[in-house]
Amino acid sequence: MTQVLSVCDLRKRYGKFEALRGVDLDFEPGKFTVIIGPSGAGKSTFIRCINRMVDPDGGEIVFDSAHMEQLRGAALRQRRAMIGMIFQHYNLVARTNVLRNVLHGRLGYMPLWKSLLGAYPESEKRRALDLLDEVGLSDQMYKRADTLSGGQMQRVGICRALMQAPKLLLADEPIASLDPKSAEVVMEHLKQTTKQRGLCCIVNLHQVEFARKYADRIIGLKAGRVVFEGSPATLSDAVARDIYENAESRLENQLTGADIARIEDEERVALCETVAA
Amino acid sequence: MRDSGGVKLTKTPPRVPAISIAGTLAVLVAAFMFLEVDFVELLSAFPAFIGFFAERFMPPDFSGFGEYLPLLLETVLFAVVATYLSSVLALVGGLLLSERTNSIAWLRFVAKVAFSVLRNVPYLVWAVILVYIFGIGNMVGLLALIFATLGLLSRSYAESLNEIAGSKMEALQAVGASKAQILVHGILPEFVPALVNWTLFSFEINIRASIILGMVGAGGIGIMIQTNLRLFRYHSALALILALVALVLLTEFVTNKLRGRVR
Repeated sequence: MTQVLSVCDLRKRYGKFEALRGVDLDFEPGKFTVIIGPSGAGKSTFIRCINRMVDPDGGEIVFDSAHMEQLRGAALRQRRAMIGMIFQHYNLVARTNVLRNVLHGRLGYMPLWKSLLGAYPESEKRRALDLLDEVGLSDQMYKRADTLSGGQMQRVGICRALMQAPKLLLADEPIASLDPKSAEVVMEHLKQTTKQRGLCCIVNLHQVEFARKYADRIIGLKAGRVVFEGSPATLSDAVARDIYENAESRLENQLTGADIARIEDEERVALCETVAA
Repeated sequence: MRDSGGVKLTKTPPRVPAISIAGTLAVLVAAFMFLEVDFVELLSAFPAFIGFFAERFMPPDFSGFGEYLPLLLETVLFAVVATYLSSVLALVGGLLLSERTNSIAWLRFVAKVAFSVLRNVPYLVWAVILVYIFGIGNMVGLLALIFATLGLLSRSYAESLNEIAGSKMEALQAVGASKAQILVHGILPEFVPALVNWTLFSFEINIRASIILGMVGAGGIGIMIQTNLRLFRYHSALALILALVALVLLTEFVTNKLRGRVR
């Protein structure tokens, strides 16, 4: 089977802190992969390296036969357009309506002047509506994003990602801020959509039960390394416990709160710079 | 701590050091001495002031008030036009000053210097300088207001732009949007409430400023306060001052209403 994404010896450090210490993983289309692991294990860094929201220090990321780690500028944006991303805090543009937020998924495919005029082709607007229909939100299309509930916002976030017609779908803690009911709805929809569209979907979670329930394949990350890989059936309670064992001490030993704040700060500055650059 | 004293709110009791109280008093006393103002005289001036005011200014004389109306309108229009023009220019200024929207460090620095000069020279000083260059007239008042407002708004806009959460822009970055698209579709919509608030705030300042600008011959109603006082027409001056107070209050009422509508 051909791989959508192949990651080889991926490394990333923040100052002294090694977030990823050589991760090798391959991903196939149509598969729903869940990455579990404690805070600080490198889940988020891993997923963000794939679409280069975070720049890795070493290793290779081959997506759709392009070396993501080498891309810059327009070429990078073009590849990003093919990768959908879903965030813990949804990251919708709050003062913009639902329909426009979904259509933002097309920005990577259209020139500035067209997007400035809001000149989305009729076919794309229809598709946005169809996507909203699938998640039961088409009647909210003209509501402002910040008037929705968390669960609704995340479903809009999924629509935005699917609007990109992605080959790869990345979800960074998509249900961490949701109530259990909304979390089920969101996970159910992600899984279903992965199967229907034959996507490759990678989801970071910290709830093992959700991983067991939905994943085709589970990856356990601990201290920047892959410590488990297999089907949900092969993830025993003992192994799951081991993944989370001593996790706090790693963070505490190597990082103080101030360090973490500084790292987050640096990331924010780096983000500002990339946005501005 | 859970011992006998119950739960304290801070670990050590807060204290105002005697030295800072003494320091504050010393500065106050020294200032009075340097300014050669007698504190007793200052207090005793109040009754005289109130007496003079009650005797000479009361009651306000609204006769002939109609001839002030064009000048009042002029004053309001100064503020309106200056606020409009400077908010458009300041939007460009804000984009140049903000790290989020301008990554060219030297350009940011040049903009920072230029706009702080505009901001830190008081508008009355601008007006006096401009009167020397262009002579007395309406253009001078307008220019002075625009200079000062442009300086203030550019910086305020830039600070608000910096405060917009990066996480939202991250999503647009992830869909492959360009910098310009992130600006147009992500940053600017989120910036609208701050834009409106700062602009209304500067409009309030400009209404007050444009009243005063008239006093240095830069156009508007201010000149008539000056004229009335010089001609000892205190009753007319009071009428005018009351009208201006009403104008300022009305402005604040309207801007507050408008603010409430932007979320």
